[in-house]
Amino acid sequence: MTEADRAGGRIERTIEVQGIATHLFEAGPPTAPPLLYLHGTHLGNLWLDYHRLLAQRFHLFAPDIPGFGLSERPDWMHDMSDYVLYFRDLMAALSLERVALVGHSLGGWMAAEIAVWYPERVSRLVLSNAAGLRVKGVPMADIFALSPQRLLETCFENLMAAAPLIPREINTDYFVRLYAERTTLAALAWNPHYDPRLARRLQRLNCPTLIIWGARDRLIPAAYGEEWQRLIPGAQLVMLEGTGHMPMFEVCEQWVAHVSAFLQESQPQEVKPS
Amino acid sequence: MSRPRLTFHYFHLMPWPDLPPDFDEKYDSAWVTLPNSIYDPEKGHALYNRYFDELERADKLGWDSVCVNEHHQNAYGTMPSPNIMAAVLTQRIKRARIGIIGNALPLHDDPLRVAEEIAMLDVISGGRIISGFVRGTGMEYFSYNINPTLSRERMNEAHDLIIQAWTRPGPFSFEGEHYNYRYVNIWPRPLQKPHPPIWMPGTASLETIDFAAAHRYPYMTVFMPMEQRKRAYELYRRLAEEKYGYEAQPEQLAFCVPIAIAETDDLAMKEGERYMMWLFQKAMKVPTEFFMPPGYMSLRSIRAAIENRASFGFANTTFKELVEQGVVIAGSPATVIEKLSYYTEVLHAGMLVTGGCTDGMPDYLVLKHQEMMAREVMPYFRQQELPPEPRPAEIHSEPH
Repeated sequence: MTEADRAGGRIERTIEVQGIATHLFEAGPPTAPPLLYLHGTHLGNLWLDYHRLLAQRFHLFAPDIPGFGLSERPDWMHDMSDYVLYFRDLMAALSLERVALVGHSLGGWMAAEIAVWYPERVSRLVLSNAAGLRVKGVPMADIFALSPQRLLETCFENLMAAAPLIPREINTDYFVRLYAERTTLAALAWNPHYDPRLARRLQRLNCPTLIIWGARDRLIPAAYGEEWQRLIPGAQLVMLEGTGHMPMFEVCEQWVAHVSAFLQESQPQEVKPS
Repeated sequence: MSRPRLTFHYFHLMPWPDLPPDFDEKYDSAWVTLPNSIYDPEKGHALYNRYFDELERADKLGWDSVCVNEHHQNAYGTMPSPNIMAAVLTQRIKRARIGIIGNALPLHDDPLRVAEEIAMLDVISGGRIISGFVRGTGMEYFSYNINPTLSRERMNEAHDLIIQAWTRPGPFSFEGEHYNYRYVNIWPRPLQKPHPPIWMPGTASLETIDFAAAHRYPYMTVFMPMEQRKRAYELYRRLAEEKYGYEAQPEQLAFCVPIAIAETDDLAMKEGERYMMWLFQKAMKVPTEFFMPPGYMSLRSIRAAIENRASFGFANTTFKELVEQGVVIAGSPATVIEKLSYYTEVLHAGMLVTGGCTDGMPDYLVLKHQEMMAREVMPYFRQQELPPEPRPAEIHSEPH
């Protein structure tokens, strides 16, 4: 632990995991159930309303995934399996025996993989607009072909909600950082941009799972949400109207309410693997 | 043996010039996504053969080599398999060398196939092949869906494999990160010893210059302003001297520069403007995202590229500006000699790569250009020779 900043009940620190200096935010009552939040591409190093609201009910850990935000990605790390092992060690470093996992977009893909490989470590799983699957005939948008501006326009239904993502100054450093983050995404998801083996493996999941999606998602269309629900035994699906790929930005309270209600259901139903 | 001050290499892109009249408004790219319904195979048949005829004339007119290259899914260059083009040329080109500049190594999952094909071509042509190696443009990583973050590693490893396949007695095994063979034992082996000369064309990556300098391969600057070319040559020369301990020779520094030559400077400017702008404004129209896919460039190179405002296209540049910036040369034979002399005398670069019709330039003009270069420019540089230069030692990578 190199740095601790107790501002507004939030701790900001950097921990070493597999030699990677991992920047993270931690907040919420230490006695509350732990929640590990895995962000999507370009969404590291943020502390926004959805974090604050989740931290009111949960002991929230929001790390910057290596290659995003303030966590560097070492060259050897370029495969989903590298990330799964990394998160296993991150949980150990944070003394998280068993945790609720909430993942968005790329972070959703990672959360699903963690739940496949370490089911005993995941109490509940929430996947929001998650990448990782293939739905034949419903292609995802090619994120790598989109300019930064077009990417925002594709992700957001209401561009005003994108305000926290607009840099104060657009300069060389900004473009280099963006390029570096895209490089991390490309390392993981250029080809294939899904895991063809994941669909079959999802049958192994045995924790209660919520799929939550923006109905208008133009990056990863709603059909993907339906596919996750079909493949994960007993998964619930909440389709939010009027929003797209970024529901936690656009309909924050609604999104948090669904996620919180699901995570706080008193009797977690154990789902038998089929 | 003395060496010519400048060698002449006739390079064809074999473009598809027949773009629809509404191309500018309707399409944001001449690459990756430009619908292939625009390509007409009937016209393509005539065009390929016209281009081959043009290369055949360059051979007869005394060019040192004729060159082709590899690009995919675009109107800029219609040679997805340059080795097929080179195979045709082995039967048409009787004297000159045949340059493949180059095969885009990281795009192919089986580099041994490249080693085999180049060896075949070298044997068929009687040892006249020049083998360029490139990474391919950023666009090609979209077209072939090869992970651009692995581009550099695949390039280096494929290079090592091919050199070993050409030079080490087989069979041997090759165990790499990306390529892995139990039996490397290519039949045939190349005719040239130790192997066909290798060129490395480059646009902006600092790592490519370092790689070329390390292996003493000629580095070719492609379509770029003089300032950028100078920086590239300076870096090559400095790396050669300080890092690799030798002095870079003129035949290690090549420059690809389109030339519009005519009886007078005025006419050359007019013809250049009429026939060359297609290349810069249409064929090179590409969104930045296609040009620089993530991981294709190192962060060091991407920072340098942004700071130097490097770009693939020259959409907002006039022909006059292209001439002033040194991206192209236009003028009478005397002017062309003067501009080329800047490369030979000031930059000490000794290989000119130019030529090749674009934008459906009428064939009589292409012929005029070829003849003026051959009869009025080449003799000037061929009269002035350089002293012999000892062959640099080949450095090879460690066996895998």
